[in-house]
Amino acid sequence: METTEFEPKIVAFLCNWCTYTGADLAGTSRIQYPPNVRIIRLMCSGSVDPTYVLKALLDGADGVLIGGCHPGDCHYQSGNYKARRRIIALKEILKQAGMEEDRVWLRWISASEGQRFADTVRKMTEFLKEKGPNPMKREWAV
Amino acid sequence: MASRPRIGVYICHCGTNIAATVDVEAVTEFAKNLPGVVIARHYTYMCSEPGQALIKEDARKLGLNRVVVASCSPRMHEPTFRAASQEGGVNPYQFEMANIREQCSWVHHDRDEATAKAKALVVAAVAKAARLEPLEDREVGVTPGAVVIGGGVAGMVAALDVAEAGFPAYIVEKSDHLGGHVADLNRTFPDLEPVAEWLPGLIERVQSHPNITVFLNAQVARVEGYVGNFEVTVSGSKVSGSGLGEPGTHSLQVGAIIVATGYKVFDPHRKPEFGYGLYPQVITTLEMERRLAEGDLAVDGKEPEHVVFIKCVGSRDKQLGNPYCSRVCCMISAKQAQLVRQALPDTRVTVFYIDVRTFGKRGEEFYDEARRSGVRYRRGNVSEIYRRGDRVVVRVEDTFLRRTLEVEADLVVLAVGMEARQDTDEIATLLKLPRSADGFFLEAHPKLRPVDTAMDGVFLAGCCQGPKDIPDTIAQARAAAASALIPLLRGTVPVISETAVVDPELCAGCGMCVEVCPFGAPALDPLWGVSRVNAVLCKGCGACAVTCPSKAIQVRHFRPDQILAQVDVLVE
Amino acid sequence: MQADIQELAKELGLGLDLLGCIQCGKCTGGCPVSITTALNVRFLVYEALVDALPDLGGMEELWDCTCCFTCVERCPKDVRPAELIISLRSQLVESGKIPGTIGDALMSIFRQGNPLGFAREDRAAWAEGLGIKSAREGCEVLWFVGCVPSYDMRSQAVAKAAAKVFQAAGVDFGILGTEETCCGNEVRRVGEMGLFEMLVEEGKPLLESVGAPTMVTTSPHCFNTFKHEYNLEGMEVLHYTQFLARLIEEGKLTFSGKVERVVTYHDPCFLGKQNHVFDEPRAVLQAIPGVKFVEMDRIRERSLCCEGGGGRMWFEGTNTEERLAFQRVHEAAETGAEVLAVACPFCMSMLEDAVKVQGLEDRLKVMDILELVAEAM
Repeated sequence: METTEFEPKIVAFLCNWCTYTGADLAGTSRIQYPPNVRIIRLMCSGSVDPTYVLKALLDGADGVLIGGCHPGDCHYQSGNYKARRRIIALKEILKQAGMEEDRVWLRWISASEGQRFADTVRKMTEFLKEKGPNPMKREWAV
Repeated sequence: MASRPRIGVYICHCGTNIAATVDVEAVTEFAKNLPGVVIARHYTYMCSEPGQALIKEDARKLGLNRVVVASCSPRMHEPTFRAASQEGGVNPYQFEMANIREQCSWVHHDRDEATAKAKALVVAAVAKAARLEPLEDREVGVTPGAVVIGGGVAGMVAALDVAEAGFPAYIVEKSDHLGGHVADLNRTFPDLEPVAEWLPGLIERVQSHPNITVFLNAQVARVEGYVGNFEVTVSGSKVSGSGLGEPGTHSLQVGAIIVATGYKVFDPHRKPEFGYGLYPQVITTLEMERRLAEGDLAVDGKEPEHVVFIKCVGSRDKQLGNPYCSRVCCMISAKQAQLVRQALPDTRVTVFYIDVRTFGKRGEEFYDEARRSGVRYRRGNVSEIYRRGDRVVVRVEDTFLRRTLEVEADLVVLAVGMEARQDTDEIATLLKLPRSADGFFLEAHPKLRPVDTAMDGVFLAGCCQGPKDIPDTIAQARAAAASALIPLLRGTVPVISETAVVDPELCAGCGMCVEVCPFGAPALDPLWGVSRVNAVLCKGCGACAVTCPSKAIQVRHFRPDQILAQVDVLVE
Repeated sequence: MQADIQELAKELGLGLDLLGCIQCGKCTGGCPVSITTALNVRFLVYEALVDALPDLGGMEELWDCTCCFTCVERCPKDVRPAELIISLRSQLVESGKIPGTIGDALMSIFRQGNPLGFAREDRAAWAEGLGIKSAREGCEVLWFVGCVPSYDMRSQAVAKAAAKVFQAAGVDFGILGTEETCCGNEVRRVGEMGLFEMLVEEGKPLLESVGAPTMVTTSPHCFNTFKHEYNLEGMEVLHYTQFLARLIEEGKLTFSGKVERVVTYHDPCFLGKQNHVFDEPRAVLQAIPGVKFVEMDRIRERSLCCEGGGGRMWFEGTNTEERLAFQRVHEAAETGAEVLAVACPFCMSMLEDAVKVQGLEDRLKVMDILELVAEAM
């Protein structure tokens, strides 16, 4: 037809124990959500290196979702707290560098929250559609 | 380091679960052209025998050194395909899975979009597989014994099975006695057998068993370790031959934990329309149980002319946050109603119900017996109770008559349901157990792994997982014990091979990994001044790898180049 | 058709969930008029579910519903059965098939801003000479007087008592005078969604323009719709019982006199069941020196409806013989109370009527809490 709608690309780093399993539950419960998200499984949200997020954004991801266990529920005791500190710092750096830090979402989603996972993906997709394509890739390439 | 990749890619139809939404042939054709891919196939069920045989044959014939299966979640069949790869001569850690069912075909309707996403997930899996290195399986010894949290029927039965198999079992009971809620019951359905005829014997067997240690007034204070080697700290009093010991802290080394913490009886004060606590005529099924045991059904010294039962109190109620059926109240009501009829033949007994759910062995027959004994079943969910003279009025619509009634009664019994205990939260935090939306503990899989949890080595028994009757509780307790016995009997458990490893050439010995590790796995080598990881202690969480300023410490199987390779192809 | 009704309810902003219904009967079992009239909301839901609704035009009992929302409060599946009745009423309103007296009330609201048929310019006549300022001058508290207290002689006494109490407590309050217009709570409940929308569209900016941080209503009905259906910004909505309880707690409202009487209290459905304001009215009554407070049996969540809500002020109902208010005043008298305290102009009207009809005038007096408070100042 005429113009095709912008479809954002979301890279999701999900912890194996909570959010990845929550995403599986969304599947077993057949909860539909937009296909814009691509999941990378890690053992813990605390192992998400800020360089992974940066790399994803600079290579052209329109958004990055980091999913971990709710506070207190980390399989490794405190990985999610480490993730929170790190992502806050990363977002601050992005902000300072004039980059759009709101393309990076950190969310606590447990193994039993399939609906919440689907809702998060839907909201993030809608948010990024509204926001438009990620300009960082282009800027970096110049 | 790694050999040149020769990758086999296998796309699963999962019957129609994947194939109905994803064009598996297109994905297969697409995969054939990916770098390093030697062969790509699709098949109805990759997890079936012939499906696995495809992998093994290809691996041998074509000399594959990497395998990628695009099917369900790795949480489901990764072990299956790792084993198949290994049988084909491929290192099981050079296997990678693309989750195109849970994360694709089941959550997207549009065939084109789902197919495109499936392709992307396959590319990422292939990219990661190409960079995977061979790892060795590792095992550690198991500490014989199990801790059972909760000394109700579930906990006692589970502990007995563990003990009978020859392992020490430790029961940690919060109250000052064994028996749990069942100790408050009089007779059980559907046989009307007095609890007094079997419960004391069960308690006695537990208390006298040489392999069982009981702690009363006790709680689990701390849990450390992992499947095969837990250290459970208990604060409470140990029961010995001479009686209850002094309160204290006890450290227990065990290989498995069984959670049998039970339930909480619904508090009908939360249904103010019934006037519970306000009218002495309104009681719960548990209070009725006591009255039946004592043979005292009188209200104000008089024999009741009319006894009314109200079902589903605190169950099937979205407003209370208890949307589930408590599964026992229909049978309890049928039992108590029958017993009232037997004790007081002149008393009218009415049961108001929404649905009668007397499932289970002899359940329907028991319901038949209740009606034949003269109990009147009327359909309608009682809405309100108020006072009229010495009696109470039950206001309810008989939905078959299509008429609202004001039924006078002398005794009203609320069939109260079950709820998750308030301390479920504490236990969940201690053991890192997820809970389902209803508040009860969540089993690992609703059908295939009903007594396992997300935590290896921790199992569920009885009503802490959801409401159930005594036969189901005991069946689940024995299943939990049997599952807990698997690591105990094997004597070893596999531990992860995906542990952190230090490149001493890069390590500057700053010690940040030592600081950040919650498990004490890395330590600085005093001689060389570099970090070294004790692989037995490492859980593979990756906190160290992110912290390391020189990227000297990395987690095998989750190395930055392996992750970034996925990022690379996913954002293209 | 089932889908149509569900869709209609959604369009009207009603949270009806037909498909959630398990036909348990909790709604009808608790419906105050289900014994005295042909209305059976559970069966209506069933008929809607299986596409078997009869011709609504002949269903006079649809107007018996008082919108007490007991069914909504108790439904274990969040079906919100009363909202089916509102949806069906709205269909009747669309086709003009409504009881004439309700039609008159709606017309009066549309023309004069009140359902009682009085002229708009007389709305503030009761307040003359009482030194009440216009809210337009700016005030801390916007007092929404309401239609019945503005025009009905009996209720005007309550409005005057309120003015006296607020003044004595040093409250900086104002009223909208002739600008004040019906809140529309009952308009919405009889299904006149168009008129209700109009009232909100005009009322919301008017109320917000006062700039008062707090609005206090005399009636629980106004309170209910302002709180939940107007989405007022920057304005806390309180029923006067909540406001008085707060003044007493802060020590701003003190008593110099006494009311040496035995008093019981009737919970209005729109304050109690629907908004869970149970404690404040009782706290106010118990703070009045001399009051001996006694309770009836059916109180709080189990309170008996007076049958004045949901348009019933303008429609007699299909059973004029057995009125719940009759039963209620006997319950009040049995407690030995001399005063049946109310906190709603509709309850006042229904119960005072019942006291007369039941011949209890020499034993029981119906008074608003505000009147008791004013008496003790």
